[in-house]
Amino acid sequence: MLSFMIRRIVATIPVMGFVALFVFSLLYIAPGDPAAVVAGDQASPAEVERIRQSLGLDRPYLVRFGEWAGRVAQGDLGASIFTARPVTQLIAQRIEPTLSLMVLTLIVAVFVAVPMGVLAAWKAGSLVDKAAMGFAVLGFSVPVFVIGYLLAYVFALKLEWLPVQGYAPLAEGFWPWLRSLLLPALTLGFVYIALIARITRATMLEVLQQDYVRTARSKGLAHRQVFFLHALKNAAVPVITIIGVGIALLIGGAVVTESVFAIPGLGRLTVDAILQRDYPVIQGVVLMFSFVYVLVNLLIDLAYTLVDPRISY
Amino acid sequence: MTALSGTEAGATRLFARATRQKRFLRYLRRHPSVAIGGGLLLAIALGAILAPLLWTIDPTQLSPARRTRMPSEQFWFGTDMLGRDVYSRVVYGARVSLVVGFSVAVLASVAGLAIGVLAGFVRKLDGVIMRAIDGMMSIPPILLAIALMALTRGSVGNVILAITLAEIPRVARLVRGVVLSLREQPYVEAAVACGAGVPRILVRHILPNTVAPMMVQATYICASAMIVEAILSFIGAGIPPATPSWGNIMAEGRALWQVRPHIVLFPAIFLSITVLAVNLLGDGLRDSLDPRIAKRL
Repeated sequence: MLSFMIRRIVATIPVMGFVALFVFSLLYIAPGDPAAVVAGDQASPAEVERIRQSLGLDRPYLVRFGEWAGRVAQGDLGASIFTARPVTQLIAQRIEPTLSLMVLTLIVAVFVAVPMGVLAAWKAGSLVDKAAMGFAVLGFSVPVFVIGYLLAYVFALKLEWLPVQGYAPLAEGFWPWLRSLLLPALTLGFVYIALIARITRATMLEVLQQDYVRTARSKGLAHRQVFFLHALKNAAVPVITIIGVGIALLIGGAVVTESVFAIPGLGRLTVDAILQRDYPVIQGVVLMFSFVYVLVNLLIDLAYTLVDPRISY
Repeated sequence: MTALSGTEAGATRLFARATRQKRFLRYLRRHPSVAIGGGLLLAIALGAILAPLLWTIDPTQLSPARRTRMPSEQFWFGTDMLGRDVYSRVVYGARVSLVVGFSVAVLASVAGLAIGVLAGFVRKLDGVIMRAIDGMMSIPPILLAIALMALTRGSVGNVILAITLAEIPRVARLVRGVVLSLREQPYVEAAVACGAGVPRILVRHILPNTVAPMMVQATYICASAMIVEAILSFIGAGIPPATPSWGNIMAEGRALWQVRPHIVLFPAIFLSITVLAVNLLGDGLRDSLDPRIAKRL
């Protein structure tokens, strides 16, 4: 098991290397002079030259990648072109709202989706099942900002139960914080709930066809007991995997949700950086999110080996 | 005599067409989601093509005198901040969504197929290609598309390219999986034993078997591309307002949504229905093409 864990950890190194190479190369995939692109249309030649030097574009590609990767490994993501402040500092300032939003969404989604999927599998083919799966199709089809506006219109504008926009930091108290995040979390959680519910149902149905379930049934155990003890336990691994993989959806959705609800998080930082073409900031945010994503999935994989001794690749 | 055999052939042809039609109708009856999704999509596509005939006015025509009107008989979906007719913009906006969705689905499928076959066949390249794919897949697709768009001018072509690049790894990975499992099939081994070359095995045995999973995947990519396009345009990194797209109509209605929710609402409804139609079509195709997957999902 230890050797598996070590192999799994080592295997993420080339993946992270490719992520870094890719994020670094983004600047060169785009057509035209990267310095001119970053500087924008109104820039003077001197300004373009200044950006060329600040990005280090006057030196060879691989040399620069090496230097850049070395700095990133030490936690230095460069500085914003416009405010000249370190990207790590900008990220640190904006991380609380985004982290709060994602953690709350994760909790809400798991607590809604898993019971929903289990119930749909328990009553497979029934009206409950059809309603749950219909909801899942809807969740994949209605874009996140549409849900955001609908929820805000109903619960904030019409019913006035929750604030329309904005974010209350955790330092201002737990309830204001929760109130400000409830609608955004539901919005962001919609597609995630659909995904997890669908996989939960599918996995449960698959597990129920296994031999050991039949054995348990023929021993005379109650359906309920087999379903919740034998099947649910064995369905856990694929469901947890999809929860990890689905974090990519959360990251992408957070950018949009923060725009809809005017939450000053990393998503807003990204959108502002795009509008200003502040490339180091965009690079930094993309790199950080990708590393977090790889890391979370690595941790989930490692957790399996502890939970389920059958797994060792 | 010749005339008789001619009519006979004609009758056979007619009969063949009739059974084909019957079979098609039976297929649609058995898989209602294909019928519903396909029908909806067809209607939306027709609307997009025939946009100038659907009582629309010039979607870019500014008219400050009639700004932010509520929906009325004259302006079915009201007007926006600059006095443009929201109904006309929404109908024309369908063009962008459909073109982006369809182009991304086709381009990503073709590129993904090539990379996937390469990884599945040339074992030496497999390790490198798969690590690169894993790396690209660790960047959330929307974020990747945003990062690419930040570097280029907003235009339909660039949006298509950015989303395609973000979607390729998913197809490549799917195709590689299919190719690897097909390589082990007895009939492929038999073909190798008969002395068939790599190109022949590819064309005769591998490619035809990737068609079904690729078609299903392509519809899902089409749906996700439409959503990503709308998101890009919504946050201002997509298609510039001169070309109406559902995303940028919503972006422009955003500042006013608390008092004039219709500007955001109508494109939102159309976008959701279109994506729903594509997803239904995909689910139906999946169920009908591969009963094994259908049981699982």
